[in-house]
Amino acid sequence: MITKEKKINIMEETKNTNIENTINADHGEISHEATIYAEPIGHIGNFPITNALLTSWIAVLIIVSVVFILNRKLCERPKGFQNFFEMILDGAFSLCDQVTGSRKLTLKLFPLAFAIFFFVLINNWLGILPLGGFGLIEIGEHGKSFIPFIRSGTADVNTTLAMSVISVIGANIFGILSIGIWKTFNKYVNIKALGSVATKFRKDKSVVIVGPITFFVGILELIGEFAKVASLSFRLFGNVFAGEVLLLAMSAILAYGLPVPFLFLEVFVGLIQAFIFAILVLVYFSIASQDHEEHDESNERGHAHA
Amino acid sequence: MDSIITTFHIDWKIVIAQALNFGIVFAVLFYFAIKPLHKLMQERSTKIEKGIDDAKTNADLLKATTEEYEKAIAKARIEANEIFDKNKKEAEKKKAEILEQAQKEMIETIENGKKIIEAERVKMLGEVKNEVAGLVLQATEKVLAEKNK
Repeated sequence: MITKEKKINIMEETKNTNIENTINADHGEISHEATIYAEPIGHIGNFPITNALLTSWIAVLIIVSVVFILNRKLCERPKGFQNFFEMILDGAFSLCDQVTGSRKLTLKLFPLAFAIFFFVLINNWLGILPLGGFGLIEIGEHGKSFIPFIRSGTADVNTTLAMSVISVIGANIFGILSIGIWKTFNKYVNIKALGSVATKFRKDKSVVIVGPITFFVGILELIGEFAKVASLSFRLFGNVFAGEVLLLAMSAILAYGLPVPFLFLEVFVGLIQAFIFAILVLVYFSIASQDHEEHDESNERGHAHA
Repeated sequence: MDSIITTFHIDWKIVIAQALNFGIVFAVLFYFAIKPLHKLMQERSTKIEKGIDDAKTNADLLKATTEEYEKAIAKARIEANEIFDKNKKEAEKKKAEILEQAQKEMIETIENGKKIIEAERVKMLGEVKNEVAGLVLQATEKVLAEKNK
């Protein structure tokens, strides 16, 4: 699709003006379709810089500058910006407490969840900005096509995949650190359950059935980890990309006024998706830090007492 | 899997770049926003707790002090009353004494006066008697002298 032919810089007033119509008669028909992948707008060596990557860099820049403004004005008597941030932090802490169940765990996991939330949120919202109207016109195999400079960082599977891989691997590392490598390993390849068939057979005959089933459930959990990566990345990508397509479609029907309610919807969707991603990561981490075996054993002991 | 990679243009270079982006965001947020802010908030909440505790002890202290003060004032008032009453009684006693003394003195003075007046009268009467006797004598002498002439 992308060929390195002649590129002409053009500027449009807004992204919402039109999808597939002519901007300039001299250049002929320019395709404005939303592609499912992020398109490169430049190269450094053989490293492609896609519009989504550029947007992510802008998001990083925004977050870093916000943090440094906050950090410089940090004082014991909060005012303005710091007050707002503290309010968010306080609310987010109590929300995390509800998920993790303990303040100690919250303090460990909160920074990651909050970083995910903030990064995804800024990326989502950057895609809604009308700055998408600035871009390149590229002459490809299907004629001229418009490539915007700005595309939601999260409307690119590369971004969401990176974040979900970090989250799932991070959750497992966190699990190893909190309950040990042996227990984490047994969650997926449950050697303990298989071994219990031999050790507990005299006490309880049903272990012949339960043991292999538990082992199989462990394998399912292993598959589940990959499913987590897929579901996390494609949920976020799908929602944000669908939002972009929706906005383009609406502005194609009527560029003035009609996209406005959908812009509000996308602001909301961006917030909700960032929130969902962060909360899910928090849940994965807190599940990984819990010891299932211990829970079961204490339950068994409870039953024995009863 | 290959179809997914080609459809979505999954490029490991970009995945790593995005992971790096997220890493920067995480590190900056953690070290420059969440960590110092949380520390600050905790410090403040401990300070506030201490302040509230201090205020409580201060209030208790103030209450105790006020009670003591009121007790002392009440005691002082009672003592003052006692002293006042005592003084009043003494004063009245003294007044009565002085009055009595004055009366006595007055009576004495009156009696003395009477005695003096009496003595004076007796003295005067004696003198008058003497004088009258002298006059009678002189008169008698004169009458006798005339008769003898």
